[in-house]
Amino acid sequence: MIEVENLSKVYGSTPAIQNVSFTVEPGEIMGFLGPNGAGKTTTMRILAGYLPATAGTARIAGYDVHEASLEVRRRIGYLPENPPLYPEMTVEGFLHFVAQIKGVRGRDRLRQVNLAMERCNIEDKRRVLIRKLSKGYKQRVGIAQAIVHDPPAIILDEPTVGLDPRQIIEVRNLIKSLAGSHTVILSTHILPEVSMTCSRVAIINRGQIAVTNTLENLMAEIAGGSGYELEVEGDVTAAQNRLQSIAGVRLVEILPSSDLPENRALFRVLSAPGAEIGREIAAVLVAADLGLYEMRRNQVSLEDVFLKLTTSEPSPNDEIPAVS
Amino acid sequence: MMPSIVSNIIAIYRKELQGYFASPLAYVVAGVFWLIAGIFFVAILLGPEGIIAQAALRDAQGQQIGVPLPPLDVPYEFLKIFLQIMGSLSLFVLPILSMSLYAEERKRGTLELLATSPITNWAVATGKLLGVLTFFTTMVLPLLGYEAIALSASSPPIRPEVPLLGHAGLILLAASVLSLGMFISSLTDSSILAAFLTFGLVLLLWVLELIASSLTGFWLPVGEALRHLSLLKHYNNLVGGNLDTSGLAVFASYIFLGLFLTAQSIDALRFQRS
Repeated sequence: MIEVENLSKVYGSTPAIQNVSFTVEPGEIMGFLGPNGAGKTTTMRILAGYLPATAGTARIAGYDVHEASLEVRRRIGYLPENPPLYPEMTVEGFLHFVAQIKGVRGRDRLRQVNLAMERCNIEDKRRVLIRKLSKGYKQRVGIAQAIVHDPPAIILDEPTVGLDPRQIIEVRNLIKSLAGSHTVILSTHILPEVSMTCSRVAIINRGQIAVTNTLENLMAEIAGGSGYELEVEGDVTAAQNRLQSIAGVRLVEILPSSDLPENRALFRVLSAPGAEIGREIAAVLVAADLGLYEMRRNQVSLEDVFLKLTTSEPSPNDEIPAVS
Repeated sequence: MMPSIVSNIIAIYRKELQGYFASPLAYVVAGVFWLIAGIFFVAILLGPEGIIAQAALRDAQGQQIGVPLPPLDVPYEFLKIFLQIMGSLSLFVLPILSMSLYAEERKRGTLELLATSPITNWAVATGKLLGVLTFFTTMVLPLLGYEAIALSASSPPIRPEVPLLGHAGLILLAASVLSLGMFISSLTDSSILAAFLTFGLVLLLWVLELIASSLTGFWLPVGEALRHLSLLKHYNNLVGGNLDTSGLAVFASYIFLGLFLTAQSIDALRFQRS
């Protein structure tokens, strides 16, 4: 549905994005994740046909966003970074206006506007002037504006910015409900947003795609890097050797710690992908008559991957997940 | 295709009108315009140097020398002077009306909505021009009221084509300036800058006739050509009751040029592969 190939955009001499490629299948929700300034908004604007790319192509529903802009614009709903609203209009009036310029037929307009207001939960403010709305309502009017004409492809740039936690959950549910009948691409710098709403994720950093994968694959790859942190009393080298001997242990390292009591050490034990080593660790340590004071599972989260991918200096034990 | 373009133009037109009637600035501009127009109206008609005073003076002079001077066509002269002044006044007001047509959309980010909707730049520009022109026409309407009251007292009654042509000229003049002002507004996201630039352009078009008449000798043909571009010259022709088609063509060209440049400048934002 959305195909992006080697897209690059250069502002003057600074590249905003370089060789960005990804595809979004029909009915999918793709999360476009990256730190601020990574090139998310630039990519979104190119997809919406608002900015021309310097090189590369982007197609939506088979139409090139640059060559067949009008055809593309008929098929997309777009929420820019700042919701495009006319403060002097009422919510209802604004959505009627948008429906009209998006080509919704007169007889369908009322129904579509009501549906969009219902889905975004803004019916109670339908006759209120937009300039009197709170930021959260404005953001939701912005989302309503992107879905009022029921477009097959929806581009949302930071859809949950400025919302309170309850509204965030509502908007996430709304986005999830769009899956299947709509193809959605949403950008965000908030990780839980991706894990909660998206089926696929593309991580972008400094204008380049670091990873694209389904969320399950990404998490599975990362789960390989999970392990335990242990606080052990006794002979440090003996403990290390014992731990090393367990099948499924990939790495044992001693973590520096200054505030531990005498004769204790902190270990990090990383498991091989798929291996579950918790039981063995406890058994081995008890059998060796070593004291186990703390044992904590250390699940690598999406945050860790994100930080790994978007921080320039990798620490020695970091393993970048394979790009697929 | 055609009905959707018309529907798009109507959508933009209605949005613009709504914007003007909700804008305090528009009311202030209209109020000041009415106030100044009213002062001129009274001064030209009834003031100590006004038309009625002059006509009386002329009659008195005629009686003194014993030979009656040809009488002054008071309603015609009055309307001519009044509309000429309204034309000049409009040149100050129109840049304020056109300044935010696009600059405000750029600043608010709503241009991003228009530019990503299936609507052509031409439709947007046409809708906007019609909207602002409608607002200006609304500003002119009350003047018609006072004129009707003053002219109804004239005997013999004024030929109807004179006020008709004059006011049509005022609207055409406004449409030309607004169309060029709209283009300037599409170049920047600062309304104030757009207003000043438009005002500068209007001044240039105003003094074009002066520049033209100062050119002599070798430059005479250039002067003739420049004179033809002067908005006020063609406006004054219409106000004088002379319908010249070349004047209409000049107004139409300015209006078209403004629309064309606006559409191009918005397109350039989207299509330049820098």
